[in-house]
Amino acid sequence: MQPSSAVVVPSGDPLKRLSGHRIELRGVSSGYHQKRVLEDITFTVEEPAIYVVLGPNGAGKTTLFRTLAGILQPFSGTVEIDGIDIGHRSARTRLQYLSHIDGIPDGLRVDEALQFYANVEGVTDREVERVVQLLGIQELRSRFFSELSQGQKKRVSIARVFLQERSIYLLDEPTSNLDPKLSREIRDIVLGLSKDDLVLYSSHNLFEAKEIGKYVLALNGGRVGYFGRMSDLRPAKYVIGIRAEGAEGVLGSSTKQGDYYLQELSGPDEVPKLVSELMAKGVRIREVKEMENPLEDLFT
Amino acid sequence: MVNIPADQGGPGAHSLLATTIRRTLTIGRLYILLGVGLSLLLSLVLLATSRAGTVFSTTYPLELPLFATLGATGGLMTFSSDRTKGVFEYLIAYGISPRSLFVNGLISTAALSGIILALSLAVGLGAAQVRGVALSGDLFTALALYTVPMSFAGALFMSTLGMIWSSLSTPRTGINSPAGIAPLLGIAPTILVLIAAESAPRSEYYYITAGAAVVILAAVLALLIASAHLMGRERFLSPL
Repeated sequence: MQPSSAVVVPSGDPLKRLSGHRIELRGVSSGYHQKRVLEDITFTVEEPAIYVVLGPNGAGKTTLFRTLAGILQPFSGTVEIDGIDIGHRSARTRLQYLSHIDGIPDGLRVDEALQFYANVEGVTDREVERVVQLLGIQELRSRFFSELSQGQKKRVSIARVFLQERSIYLLDEPTSNLDPKLSREIRDIVLGLSKDDLVLYSSHNLFEAKEIGKYVLALNGGRVGYFGRMSDLRPAKYVIGIRAEGAEGVLGSSTKQGDYYLQELSGPDEVPKLVSELMAKGVRIREVKEMENPLEDLFT
Repeated sequence: MVNIPADQGGPGAHSLLATTIRRTLTIGRLYILLGVGLSLLLSLVLLATSRAGTVFSTTYPLELPLFATLGATGGLMTFSSDRTKGVFEYLIAYGISPRSLFVNGLISTAALSGIILALSLAVGLGAAQVRGVALSGDLFTALALYTVPMSFAGALFMSTLGMIWSSLSTPRTGINSPAGIAPLLGIAPTILVLIAAESAPRSEYYYITAGAAVVILAAVLALLIASAHLMGRERFLSPL
């Protein structure tokens, strides 16, 4: 893992595609009622990708999203979207924000709730139809939002985000409270967005974060602890799990986690050699997988 | 294409207010029914007395602002609910200013108060006509110089007080919440004005009531200006 004390701006990649859009924070301190939650945040993103924002509870993830969305005014520093200060409305019209709460007004049916936001954004009924199809919420349209399950509520809330296409998406825990199937669908939609757009995505699920994130921005105590490529992260120790038959005699002394025999290696390069040795000893290997998530080290 | 959000005078500007008023009518429908129902009950009781003509003309206009203020609680309830549910968070992200959110809440409250007032006057004066009570010039003077201005002033005062209070405090619901207590505080000026006016000479009665309504509306304006300067956007957000 790279040193985590400094702010790292991903750059210098010759293959990096630029979206033409840019989020830039310089020395941003932000919070609530003079209580600072974020301290001296500086980073820039301009490559279309998913930037996973991680951090323990209270690290400042939601505050960062609210500051980026122009909801909170920074105590100091600047937030710019495409070179325009976030205080200007034209900067805000370039991004879409999904809060960790639903934000659906009381007393409305799903259709009315979507229409409410369609009116605010000034989009047509056609766009409402499009997001209803996209999120598969046709059967929920006539129901009161308050009567829906947590997962259904989340789906409607996410539909709101896609009423109008934007180039920058700030998604604060979009898959919380969702079942695995719907989480997958949401991740697929977000992955689709990331081909052309900038997506900042917060999650408490490290496996999800590792799966979809190209970059990771880890917050710790209101400061940027790490900002860099996901692929550059290496776990402090490299542990693989081997699911195999006929391994009792060979790997019997290894620690076992479920069906997996754990093996600590110095790095991925040693895996082929170990596999060859085991196969030579008659072990029938069914699966080999990494057991440590390097993102876990960002929290220690 | 980037559409213009509501606060920039885009197509959503008027519909956001219209939707807010519509939602306020839905959320506050019970209070509207209570406001209109109580004023109807009052008019029937007053018209049932032996001196119905005098009693109705002097008492009915004085009581209506209480019902119009209490019945307009829906505006405050909608504001409070939108804050707690995170609706304001999205609207601010769309570029809508907190001031607009406040003003929308006030206009919704005024609309409710106006609806209650109109319905109450329609049924009250209608019942008086059916009873054969003559609608005197004094009655219309009282309605014009006390009932109408004080109904709007009281409702707006209640709503402003409640919106600021709910924005400054931790979201909570029930009778102990700002939305539960503010209506009781909101009718206080109406009652105080009545007491003050009663102790003044009859010739100055309506100068006092109409003047008090203006003072209350000025207080509402002052509270709004103060809130715009003192309250940051974070006051409109739901808790983390």
